[in-house]
Amino acid sequence: MQQFINTALGGLTTGMVYAAFALALVLIWRSTRVVNFAQAPMAMVTTFVALAVIDAGFSYWIGFAVALAAGLVLGAIMERGVMRHVQGKGEINAVILTLGLFIVLHAAAAVVFGNDFRSFPAPFGVRGIEVGGRTVALTGFGIFTIIAVLVVMGLLVALFRFTDLGLRMRAAAFNPEVARLLGVRVPRMMTLGWALASLVGSLAGLLIAGGSLIHPSYMDSVVVLGFVAAVLGGLDSPLGAVVGGLLLGVTLAFVSGYLGSQLVALAALLILMIVLMVRPGGIFSTTAARRV
Amino acid sequence: MKRMKQVRLTPVAALVASALVLSACGAGGRDDDDGDAADSGSTVGVTDDKVTIGAHFPLTGVAAPGYNEIPTGARAYFDFVNANGGVHGRQIEYVVRDDAYNPTNTTKVTNELLLQDEIFAMVGGLGTPTHSAVVDQLNEEGVPDLFVSSGSLMWGDDPEARPMTFGWQPDYESEAKIIGQYVAENMPDAKVGLFLQDDDFGEDAEKGARQFLEEQIVGVERYTSGNTDVGPQIAGLQGAGADLVLGFNTPAYTALARLVSLSLGYEPQWFVSSVGSDSPLVGSLLAEFSEGAVKPGAGALDGVMTTEYIPTLDQGDDPWVQLWERVWEEHGEKGDLSNYKIYGMSHAYALVQALQGVGEDLTREGLVEFMEEQGEGLDGPQLAPFRYGTDSHLGISGMRIVELEGRGSKELTPVLVTDIGDAEITEDTSGQADDAPPESGIPE
Repeated sequence: MQQFINTALGGLTTGMVYAAFALALVLIWRSTRVVNFAQAPMAMVTTFVALAVIDAGFSYWIGFAVALAAGLVLGAIMERGVMRHVQGKGEINAVILTLGLFIVLHAAAAVVFGNDFRSFPAPFGVRGIEVGGRTVALTGFGIFTIIAVLVVMGLLVALFRFTDLGLRMRAAAFNPEVARLLGVRVPRMMTLGWALASLVGSLAGLLIAGGSLIHPSYMDSVVVLGFVAAVLGGLDSPLGAVVGGLLLGVTLAFVSGYLGSQLVALAALLILMIVLMVRPGGIFSTTAARRV
Repeated sequence: MKRMKQVRLTPVAALVASALVLSACGAGGRDDDDGDAADSGSTVGVTDDKVTIGAHFPLTGVAAPGYNEIPTGARAYFDFVNANGGVHGRQIEYVVRDDAYNPTNTTKVTNELLLQDEIFAMVGGLGTPTHSAVVDQLNEEGVPDLFVSSGSLMWGDDPEARPMTFGWQPDYESEAKIIGQYVAENMPDAKVGLFLQDDDFGEDAEKGARQFLEEQIVGVERYTSGNTDVGPQIAGLQGAGADLVLGFNTPAYTALARLVSLSLGYEPQWFVSSVGSDSPLVGSLLAEFSEGAVKPGAGALDGVMTTEYIPTLDQGDDPWVQLWERVWEEHGEKGDLSNYKIYGMSHAYALVQALQGVGEDLTREGLVEFMEEQGEGLDGPQLAPFRYGTDSHLGISGMRIVELEGRGSKELTPVLVTDIGDAEITEDTSGQADDAPPESGIPE
């Protein structure tokens, strides 16, 4: 029973990280209609930035804020400097370009930050919380993870649903030409979308790194799993991304704990295949997938 | 059309003719020095004043931390020997190529070592998955393949299939047997959990441990290298009620397992095999989480039991460690001496010893023959003798069990030796653990 609870709680926390990552993918999809595979190495870079700041003697929270700011800037730079040049040249070009960025960022990070495993501090300690004399697998940092992701999801829902800005971002992504005719500054919206997505991505990076070890490829498994979570949720809805992330996290924790850790990747891709075949619009889609 | 064919055939004919002439000469030559076996062997990579050897190591990539220091240690020792005149007047040229712990790369760099660098022998190539990609090629081409940096059984349990390959460190099965027997005798009430890497490493180890602990094992968990989320595995061991965890894992996973068990409030006794217990490395990984959770620095593994088969950095009084310090000071690159560099120096020492032993007429066949006939008697830093012979090419035969303590360790057993299968575990009587290097630091 204890194992069951601890496995479930562990899955809940990692699921929240997948959710954060899926949120970043959803954000970029909603604002530019591109799936960004470079999200993982971008988050990895900003996490290393945070570690450099913390190692320089600043507090965890300064490192945390610097990493989020770095994410914002990095996202904007990626869009302005790289992605903009393939805009309107076929959807596949942009996706392949993000794959290229994936490899470039990886190699650059290995050169700049080194290839070693490094430990990344957690602000709330790494011991589990005691409930009735028993320790449960939920650390202070785990609770912080869950709250942070829920808050971000709430903000994103609010942004897209209730603000003018969110509407313009969706319009710019959905139909740039018409949006432009209606007075939306499309390029600016695209940059903003990338910047915000990259910020959420850096948050995911920081959450998965806290109280664990990082190295240049520590986010690589998350890129696949975050993508699966986003697809589970329909790639279009923040709520779906979070639910997808949680489902995936808990399922994979049980697969790993009760069936074997070698089956984790297999199980994730199996889930992806089944969802794409049975419900291509995600498990929460009520209408048929929209064609763009 | 006809003419073209003739033109094309000419060089082929020439080749065939010259090959015939050459082989005729060769045959004639061999008849002349009949009885002098050393002359008929392969001398690729050997000249009067130089012998070229090669190795593949992960210098970049995830496996690089720690492992990339092994060749720098070996190189420092070779430079030390070269500065003192080399071996039989030959300087040792050491070519290291980076395979990033990727078997595909290992195949590529091994081809480069063989064809481009024309190495005499492969020495210390690292990794089970990586080296198994090239072991057959090296054997087919008759290239000596000494001191593979891995504890897989593959390097020595079947000399007929792989006559050129020799292991180095104690194999995982023997190590697990020694650990298993210790646990069975000294902690008969412990409920044992196994935390294993999901490949040969874990498999060989489980086989050895089960010989003694079949009754005591309550849970077995395997992690996949690369997946850093070991939460479900540790929760599994906790759920099974294990109060003693035997870890056959790499150093990063020792740190990860310790972290996860903190979050689970799980406090078993840990027993980590020699591979995963490099205290400075694990300690530096755990140092960041020092908020009262884990003690910072090398003491982070206090109370953890492990094994050792060569003297390590913390044993500053050991004459071998003093030699390694001297070598590193005189010929090392930047950075401090580490246990990984000592590992490299230790197998470099064994190679120099073997080259000395073969004599001035160095051939590939001669080296392998020497290893089989006299390899068992080689002394050196290893605490227990090698097992080299015609029936086995396995390396160091034993180790002692220690408990980590601050920067050092406390001996729990004398050096124990054994072999694979149901070979008995006995106390070592060779005195290997108490020997010292010659004054010059170079084997005679």
